[in-house]
Amino acid sequence: MKKLYFVLAALLVASMVLTACGPAATEAPVPAATEAPEATEAPTEAPTEAPMEIDCTSPDYFCVGLVTDVGEVDDKSFNQSAWEGVLAAQDSGIADEVQYIETKDAKDYAANIQLFAEQGYDAIVTVGYAMGQATAEEAANYPEIYFIAVDQFQAETIDNVSGVIFNEDHSGFLAGALAAQLSESGTIAAVLGTDLVPPVVAFKEGYEAGAKYINPDINLIATYHPGGLDVAFTDPEWGATTTKQAIDQGADVVFGAGGKTGNGALIEAAGNEGVYCIGVDSDQWLSVPEAHPCLVSSAMKLITPAVSQKINEANDGAFVPGNHIGAAALAPYHDFDSVISDEIKAKIEEIAEGLKDGSIKTGYGG
Amino acid sequence: MEDKKSSHLIVRRILAWLAGLWQSLGVPLLAVLLALLIGAIILQISGASPVDAYSALFKGAFGSSKNLGRTLEKATPLIFSGLAVAFAFKAGLFNIGAQGQLLFGALASAFIGFAVKGLPPYIHIPLALFGGAAAGALYAAIPGALKTYTGAHEVITTIMLNYIAINITDYFADGPLKDTSPGNIVARTPAILDSAKIPSIQSIPIGFVLAILIAVGVWWLLWRTTIGFEIRTVGLNPSAARYAGMRVAFTVILTMVLSGFLAGMGGAIETQGVVGRYQPGFNTGLGFDGITIALLGKTHPLGVIPAALLVGAMKAGASQMQFSAGVAKEITDVIQALMLFFVAADMIVRWIFRIRSASEEKVILSGWAQGK
Amino acid sequence: MQSSIIGSSAFLRFLKRWGVNLGIGLVVLVTIIWGYIVNDKVTVAVLASTVRQATPLVLGALCGLMGERAGVINIGIEGQMLLSAFIGFLFNVWTGNLLIAVFAAAMTGALLGLFLAFMSVSLRMDQIIGGTVINILALGLTGYFYQAGLVTQGKLQPIALGSLAEIPLIGPVLFNNPPITYTAIVLVLVVHYVLFHTRWGLRTRAVGEHPRAADTLGVNVYLMRYANVIIGGAIAGLAGAFLTLEAVGSFERAMTNGRGFVALAVMIFGRYTPLGAWGAALLFGLASAIQTQLQFFGTFNIPHQFIGMLPYLLTIIVLAGFVGRTHIPAADGEPYEKE
Repeated sequence: MKKLYFVLAALLVASMVLTACGPAATEAPVPAATEAPEATEAPTEAPTEAPMEIDCTSPDYFCVGLVTDVGEVDDKSFNQSAWEGVLAAQDSGIADEVQYIETKDAKDYAANIQLFAEQGYDAIVTVGYAMGQATAEEAANYPEIYFIAVDQFQAETIDNVSGVIFNEDHSGFLAGALAAQLSESGTIAAVLGTDLVPPVVAFKEGYEAGAKYINPDINLIATYHPGGLDVAFTDPEWGATTTKQAIDQGADVVFGAGGKTGNGALIEAAGNEGVYCIGVDSDQWLSVPEAHPCLVSSAMKLITPAVSQKINEANDGAFVPGNHIGAAALAPYHDFDSVISDEIKAKIEEIAEGLKDGSIKTGYGG
Repeated sequence: MEDKKSSHLIVRRILAWLAGLWQSLGVPLLAVLLALLIGAIILQISGASPVDAYSALFKGAFGSSKNLGRTLEKATPLIFSGLAVAFAFKAGLFNIGAQGQLLFGALASAFIGFAVKGLPPYIHIPLALFGGAAAGALYAAIPGALKTYTGAHEVITTIMLNYIAINITDYFADGPLKDTSPGNIVARTPAILDSAKIPSIQSIPIGFVLAILIAVGVWWLLWRTTIGFEIRTVGLNPSAARYAGMRVAFTVILTMVLSGFLAGMGGAIETQGVVGRYQPGFNTGLGFDGITIALLGKTHPLGVIPAALLVGAMKAGASQMQFSAGVAKEITDVIQALMLFFVAADMIVRWIFRIRSASEEKVILSGWAQGK
Repeated sequence: MQSSIIGSSAFLRFLKRWGVNLGIGLVVLVTIIWGYIVNDKVTVAVLASTVRQATPLVLGALCGLMGERAGVINIGIEGQMLLSAFIGFLFNVWTGNLLIAVFAAAMTGALLGLFLAFMSVSLRMDQIIGGTVINILALGLTGYFYQAGLVTQGKLQPIALGSLAEIPLIGPVLFNNPPITYTAIVLVLVVHYVLFHTRWGLRTRAVGEHPRAADTLGVNVYLMRYANVIIGGAIAGLAGAFLTLEAVGSFERAMTNGRGFVALAVMIFGRYTPLGAWGAALLFGLASAIQTQLQFFGTFNIPHQFIGMLPYLLTIIVLAGFVGRTHIPAADGEPYEKE
């Protein structure tokens, strides 16, 4: 048996070396941006241990669960934004217990929802258009639970489901208008995830319409990732090399819309003098600090406030089912505030008004 | 006196049988235990509780009849893709393309499932199932034929065909076969009709039972038929097979076709038994898992079953593990890699636990040059 | 009369051996020049993208072929790239020193090479399993230990090679690249030289073709296999470093996205030769860049999926139509046991 102990000891040492290579999961995360610490730190703290035993089945406690779309809760994209909404509800004392489950296999949507439901969670946030069917089915199974369905358009109203949707084409339109005004070469680019995901298409169509609204002769070069859903949003090198190819042929504003693929596009643009880039979904000034040299703004869909608002409603018993149209807008210009002329800013304001009152149409989705 | 002797004999036989069982099952079991042990060390070091994590994992996989059903459901496509890869290995072919073949199987069975109307289940179910399998078989025939007639290596062609399959199936799901029901903007086919759905009995998916039967069938084909003998001979030594007058070219194509058939059927069962339609992103990785499963099962058709169950259990339990113990799911990948390592490196396991070697090790794929 | 027959048969042999490569090369060359005349900017953009996309593939292929020339199949290139990319990224985050980070990535690749060699040479495990273990392990470890919020401190920048970089077309494409891209080109030539013009190379190939004979002649089979697989691993590590430290500048889970497997295909496509692998990688890179460009133009009114599959379809067509069967090292995948 001596041998056995020796081997175990060796294994122990080996795995210690192995784990030493990576940072321990418990280590404090390096804050990425100073402006919004909660945006960057939050997802890394797995909310595993509650200070005291919270029984979610008891009516005294309000528990909120989140099921991600395929991907991680720290994806710097829509899963993360939704989770931050849940965390905001916890910080403001509304949610007593919050927890997430990351979906690895799209077939687990329903099972992951059920995990929360069986533990007596009071509200469940489901993220991503692909979860629409599973959400609707489980909502019928658990009528007493509120479902906050991000990116899921509700064709019919279900009493305990609210689809949190966004006019991505609006913020895409603003991004396009900004890009067309900033461009000196007359060529702008869009590097996109996949058109299998409706919001990506909405962003792209809006971007194109917005650019054409400013300059009908603008040369827009755009491409979707040629791979499947599983790689389209996790291929930063494809995003980067595609961006380079666009810049080399004269594009001087790049819109990166597609999770980590889009982030690759932003970081690549940051390395090129005189090129601007525009992020997507959240204010990427906070989530992709590497892109600061070029990031003029982001075409946002404000998932975080919408999710926390819906959680509030559920807690107050004032839950409004149906579709909740969240805000879609441009992010602040941050360091580029002084670079962008007042003229352009005024024009963007004007277009934003026009989109709001309907006098300007993006042409997306009829 | 006589009695004593015979009872002695029985005890001896039982002991011998137990020893034999230990010889064949002991090493894989210990390999799995070692993998879990190292996984536990990694968990401990990264600040998680291995006990919590493993008990949650176990509960998620086997804790209730529903969870057990999910484990079986997860294992089902893995058995098929594992069989597909293992079967090709037997002819010395490395089918990395199970993923693409599976996608075509899933799409074709969805198409038959929603487009063919008015059939009773006992016709509709097998029709869609075999339609899917046939689609996978046809798609796998391409690398088989290319290898035979042009010499193009199947490793390259199957990798490339995987990417092409993604593009083609995406095109259909977002184009000609897109679900046109009102309100739908998602790329997916319409839902298949109830008559094409494969049900579960209690919590046991019928697809799983079918997978077991097919695995036995593959075993029978390989070891009890002439074709199987030819396939294995081609795999072991193509020149000898040719010398013996076997149809090597035919065997290569046939093997690929049957391998694709298995992968395609796996896709069809996913569509008919779990997803209920074809939707991009719902069959991700199953074909690639097939490589792991085939190797974990030592490329034996029956070894594939416990391998798929093991991996299926980890997939089914991972959510519970994250929910209850707050452990990231990727740890199950690490454990899988370690399991594969220890199962294959049974020298190490035998050395640690001082078990004598039972049989000579065999190489699964001696070189890329096989099946010439 | 006779000499012309000899001459023509020599020419035929030359054609038979190099005709395909020449043909493909000629077609590509004419297309490039034509493209340059029509639209120089786009042509430069496409070619620069070609070189860039080819870099991780050719590095991965070099890793694969070093192992396979010595008789060890390596399907773990994907995993080697991924884990190296991750470790390189971490070292960049911790130290801020790119040189150290690149070194750490190469060492990670080499360490995984050592692991692979241990499994396939010493344990005589099936080599497909060895590679698969590495692939899954890398995916699991990087996924488990990655955490958001880590920010790198810069990435490798392009270095213009003096006046060479000012040559039209060739200059910006070949002589204005970041260091790992240059290294990849140099490595192609070095590996070619070592494999085919040195004793080390002769021994490596002998070990891959006839280990028994090589052993009889006093070549240390185990040592040659270990050394080649480890060096190959370091090259795959560079491919990982390329992704996080030169191309993207950041790490994401599973960011290799199958490049290791495409590198495997590139290696076989290139007939297990460094120059061939380079050609195959460039061809694949070119097809990918053209695919992107066609979508940029947006002139073709066909579903983009059919444009997206172009590089893969082209690979199959060229392989099936022009390249055909490849000679594979005879002892590839065979564990060697001393008598």
